[in-house]
Formats: sequence, C-alpha cells, structure tokens
Amino acid sequence: MDLGLEGKNAIVTGGSMGIGSAIALRLAEEGCSVAINYRRHDTEAKQVVRDVEALGRRGLAVKADVSSYDDAQNMVQTVVNEFGSLDIMVCNAGINWDGVIWKMSEEQWDTVINVNLKGYFNYNKAAALVFKDQKSGKIVNISSINGLRGKFAQVNYSASKGGEIAMSKSLAKELGKFNVNVNVVAPGMVMTEMAESIPPEFLTKAMDETALGRFASAEECADLVAFLCSDRARHITGEVVKIDGGQYM
Amino acid sequence: MTRVGIIGIGHGTFGRRSDATVQELAFEAFREAMGDAGIDRTAIDASVIGAVPEYHKQRSLAGVVQEYLGLNPKPTWLTEVACASGSAATRTAWMSIKCGLHDVVAVIGCQKMTEMSTAEILALMGRVGEVQWESGFGTTFPGYYAMFAQRHMHEFGTTRKQLLEVAVKNHYYGARNPYALFRKEITMEKAQGSEEVATPLQVYDCCANADGAACVILASEDKAKEISEKTVWLDGMACATASMSVLRRPSLTGLPSAEKAATDAYEMAGVTADDIKVADVHDCFTVAEIMAYEDLGFCPKGKGGPFVSEGKAHIGGKVAVNVDGGLKSKGHPIGATGVSMTYEIAKQLRGEAGERQVPDADVGLTHNVGGIGQYCFVQVLKRD
Amino acid sequence: MFEWFGKVNFTPYTKVSDFARHLKDGHLMGSRCKDCGATSFPPRADCDACASGEFEFNEVSGKATLNTFTKIVAAPTGFEDVVPYIVGVVDLEEGGRALAWFGESLKEEDIEIGMELQIVPQIFDEVEEIKVYYSLEQPGTTWSKVDPNWQ
Repeated sequence: MDLGLEGKNAIVTGGSMGIGSAIALRLAEEGCSVAINYRRHDTEAKQVVRDVEALGRRGLAVKADVSSYDDAQNMVQTVVNEFGSLDIMVCNAGINWDGVIWKMSEEQWDTVINVNLKGYFNYNKAAALVFKDQKSGKIVNISSINGLRGKFAQVNYSASKGGEIAMSKSLAKELGKFNVNVNVVAPGMVMTEMAESIPPEFLTKAMDETALGRFASAEECADLVAFLCSDRARHITGEVVKIDGGQYM
Repeated sequence: MTRVGIIGIGHGTFGRRSDATVQELAFEAFREAMGDAGIDRTAIDASVIGAVPEYHKQRSLAGVVQEYLGLNPKPTWLTEVACASGSAATRTAWMSIKCGLHDVVAVIGCQKMTEMSTAEILALMGRVGEVQWESGFGTTFPGYYAMFAQRHMHEFGTTRKQLLEVAVKNHYYGARNPYALFRKEITMEKAQGSEEVATPLQVYDCCANADGAACVILASEDKAKEISEKTVWLDGMACATASMSVLRRPSLTGLPSAEKAATDAYEMAGVTADDIKVADVHDCFTVAEIMAYEDLGFCPKGKGGPFVSEGKAHIGGKVAVNVDGGLKSKGHPIGATGVSMTYEIAKQLRGEAGERQVPDADVGLTHNVGGIGQYCFVQVLKRD
Repeated sequence: MFEWFGKVNFTPYTKVSDFARHLKDGHLMGSRCKDCGATSFPPRADCDACASGEFEFNEVSGKATLNTFTKIVAAPTGFEDVVPYIVGVVDLEEGGRALAWFGESLKEEDIEIGMELQIVPQIFDEVEEIKVYYSLEQPGTTWSKVDPNWQ
C-alpha cells in the first residue's frame, strides 16, 4: 500500500529511543523529513537523525523538554522554518513513575502529568495553530491501554494516558473542519528499553493477558502510526486504536 | 379606455398606534375618504388592500379589513411589494376600472409595525435584501442604502451635509402636517450629531417604522364626473422592477426601477419631468430622495445633492418634493405609504394643502419604492 | 450543506448547495450554463440568458475590485456579537459580484472604493458546527497558509 507520505514533514516527540525512534524511522522510510526532540539523550537523538538521513531524508534533533510550553512552541516554529512546513505531529514522549497512591509524592504525580499530559497539550496546540491555517494535518497521540483501564500503582500514569485520549477526542472535534485528523494509538506491553527494566514475573503476567501470547515490537507500533498519518486514513478521526495483541478487551 | 380619477381621499394619524388594531386604523382613513367623496358604501364596487403581512399577528389581512370596513360581500385582495404595497394596491384598483370590471374601487393602505417585538423586527430587518447570498453577512435595510450613499458620494462628490438637508427640509414640512409621526423641525446640528447606523448614514438619515393607514377612492371617468367636482386624474401609472440583489444591478448610484417607471409614467401621461410641480418621493433614507431627484429627471445625474441644498426641492423651488414631510417625518407604515403619497398629491392638486400648498400645482407625481429598489411605482396625477 | 453558508442561514436547500462544500475546501465557485455558456457569480442553477436548468460549477480566482461598502453599526438578529462589521460589494475580475465582510488583513482606514481585493474562503473557527463564508482580504492572500513568523 502506498501511504502517500512522500515529501511530508513530521515531528515525533520522544523520538530518540523506543517507540519514538521506531516511528521516526518508519516515517522516514515512507518519505518524510523527521524532527525529534531530546531532553538528555543527545547521543541517541543524533543517531536517529543520522539514520533518517541515511534513508535520504532530512532529519533534525531539537533540544526541548516536552513539559515546557515555550520549548514546544519554539520547536514547532523551528521545524516549520527549517523544513518549510509541518504535516504530521506524533506525540509519544512519556514517562512512568509508579507507586500506590498512599506512597505517591506530589512530585511523582506532577512530573508524570506534566511530561505526559501537559506535554501532549504543548505540542498539540503548537501543531494545531499551524494545521488550522494550513487547512490540513495529522496528529497522532500515543497513549496506552492503561489509559482505557485502571492499573495498579499507576494513578498518575493512567490519569495521564486517559487524559490524552479525552483530549485527543476534543481536539478531533475542533480541528475536523480544517481537514485535520486527530487519533490515538494505545499500545499494550511493547518490547523497548523501558520494558527491559520490568521484573520477569510482571512480563509473564502481561503476556498471559494477551490473546496472541506475545508483545508488540516498537516497529509494529510504528506501522500503525504511519498508517494513521497517511491519507489512507483520512476518514478516521477521534479514534483510539489499541495495539495490544488482545491484552485488554 | 376610460380615464381613472381619485374622487375621495382619507388619512389617519401615523405613529405608534397602540390604541388601535390595523383594521381600526384602516377605518379611520376609509371614513374620511368616503366623507370626502360624499358617498357611502353602496357606491363602492370593490376594495384593494395594500399591506405587508409579515408584521401582523393577524393572518390574511385583506379579509379582516374588508369585514371591519363593512364591505362584505364585495371583492377584495391584498397586494404586497414591500414598501410599495400601497401603490400596488392603487395600480390594481386602477387596472380593474380601466378594463371596465369595476367603476368605483376603494384603495386602503394600512400597516401596523408595532405588534412585533424588537427582536422580531431586527430579525426581519436582516432579511431585506437577497437572503441566499447577502443576509448571511448581516446586511440591513439601512446598510444597503448606506452603500448606495458611499458610492454616490464617491462618484459625484455628494456630501454628508447635502444628505442631511433632505432630513431638515422634510422635518420642516412634516411639522406642519397633522398626520405625521414627527411634528418638530430639526436643525442641521442635531442631525449631524446623531448616532451612526450604517456608515455614512446616521439616525437622522433614516425613516422610522410607524403604524397608520390612508385611503383613496378611485372611479371611472363617468362615475367621477357624476360624484365629484374635484377629481384628480391618475393619468400616468407605471411600475418597473430591478434585481432584488445589489449583486445584479449595473450601477449602485440610482434605482434602475425608478428610472424606468418614471419614463413609462411620463410617456403615458404625456408629460415630461419639467411639468411636475409637486412630488412625493420615497425618502426611506435621505440618499434615497437624492437619487430620486436624478432618477425622476428633476436634475441631471449626480446633481441631487446641490438640488436640495440650493433649495430647488422646497416650495418655491423647481419641484416641491415631500412637502408633507415625506417618510422621514411622517414615519413609514409600509403598506400605507404609497396611498399616503397619493393622498398628498391629490390634496395639492385640489389646492387644499393650506400652509403647505404649492402654488399652481396642476401636475404631480408619486414615486414609491419597494425594499431596496426591486420594485418602483411612479404615478402622474393631473388636475384639469 | 448550504446551511453551512453565512453566519446565519435562511436558505438551507438550494440547487447550488454544493457551493458550500467547495467553499469549505477552499474553492470559490461560480456557475456556467451548459447550454449557452453564460457564467454567473454567485452561481445559479437556472440560466437567465436562455432558460436552461443545466449548469456546472466554474471556479473563479477571487480577484475583485471594491464597488462600495458600509460599516454596519445597528445589527440584525444573529449578528449582535460581531457588530460593528464592514461589508463590501466587490466586482469580480471574471464578472459578477459578491457581498462579503472585510477580513483581518485590512484595516478600516485602508478601505477605499476602487481598491483591489482578494475574496478568500473562510471557516468559522469558534463554533462546533461547520459554518463557512468568504471575506475580503489583501490581494495575494491565500486560503491555506502557514506563516513561518507566527508567535
């Protein structure tokens, strides 16, 4: 299937590692110029840029903290200046900091909400300003099945992931008449560096939950994101697509 | 074919008539007209009612007016062409006499505008032009004439002051008309200081809504000679239309419907613009009167401003225009206005206008426009 | 679809209702009679040159000259929240006329009869329903735009 993404310009937040870098490379393979942000992992970020360029596309790494409103507005402006336009915004940067609520500090709550939920607002708003004037655009926000269900020791993370879903639906209503699609991808367990630090007994429990008996790879998530960013998905908006092997139904 | 004449005229007080229903207002004018003609109902063959239905709670107005006037079972029907409804009624009555169907027909122009709430009136106000392509942008009746004024000022150098001279003149004469809504003179300073409505038009450039009625009784030549000694003849009777939408008018500095109707009326009556001594024109806005001088041929195109500011539209000028106060001072009960104009010109030609009499008035004209110029009715009246 | 057109709409049903869909997509459409070729803006389904009812949409450039205008201060129902607003009547380069609001790219003091303008399709952005209109802007203004200098 030709996704028709040749020549499009994209931003992927949290694109230096994990699902984010897979998305960045997948979009580049489909013909996009890709910009990513990084906060600390500049080495990894630069590698992703080299990989993008190796595919014959323009790559750009911008130092920006997703929880900073100003950083986000500036980054989007920089990318528009450098690439000439913006067509795709993928919000993916996220953290977790688990704990049962009676042991969860204020800082634990605030940090996860600011990076995950506020971070998506910061970038979605900046992109919306561009897309609304342009009368076209695609936004994909990466959430989680834990935004659809409750998860033990994740009041902060689940809140942020659930919030991303509601926010995306509201945004889809606001931007629809400007030919902008806003969708959510909700993975279950994905094999990335972040997952490697999970104790094996939790991993087994998670795999038993899935119907397919497996976890997603970052590349499989990237395939779904690329489809949603394409014109093939132009009639899909306000949708939440789970990619969890049947882990949560 | 027979000549058609006016044998009786009647007028009610225009204003905020919360004391009466529309049929009661109609009766005031009808009673006066019958008395003026010296006839009673048995002499009348039919009536035609000129009114704009959407302002009334009563549906199908002609029926309720006919009943109240005591004219059942004689024929009646409504004519509606916005602000020219009264003249359309006159034209229809005239046609029925011309063809010999009726001999004596009563024309009643009547309107109540104050039965509606402000919001209802404001909603109607936004639907004056072409609703499909224009009303979505919030155009209003004054807005259209304001655009005509902007263009007229741009092309001919007409000034704001010249526009307001029309208002000052008409209020001067209206102060002397007992039927008018506004019976006070105004100063230029007062007019210039009034609030903006749609640039460049201010409150004093605009006529006011009002309630009221007027009546004229028309008769065939034979009947007129039998009944009346002061018949005024309706020798020129013309009507022309122009596009409803300003988007399809070649020029926005005059009303093509008025120009055409005037040409046709003059030809029918065998007169020229120079023969007209007294006229009632449709001054819904000051600029409308200025365009009327030009469309009717009282002055060359573009010279309407100087025409009024040099006193040529006053009594003693070239043509006495709106010396009953015009719509500006009388108010504009839309269905009644056309008949009110006919009343005034008939009065002038009979020599009965008192302190507002135009000397030697033997040929007169009425110019009644519907809406923003999509209809225009021009009548030429003569006294033998 | 024609109910999308205008801040307040009184004519939701018309033979030319696709005009509104084209406007939402950024295209300004007049009409052309399939039988005699007469063109019209605004578009009309029934030809007034011949009497045909066969028409097709015909995109116009939006380039126009200002014929006249006014600033409306006393608003009709439905427009109280946007008053005062300035409406202009413009003559299109290809023939025909439009009546529209002046848009953001022009200041009141710049408005002059005879000036060149661009009619630009617009979408009302702060209402949930789809509502479209067109506005009078500086020549060269485009429908889809990205301003690299926005803040």
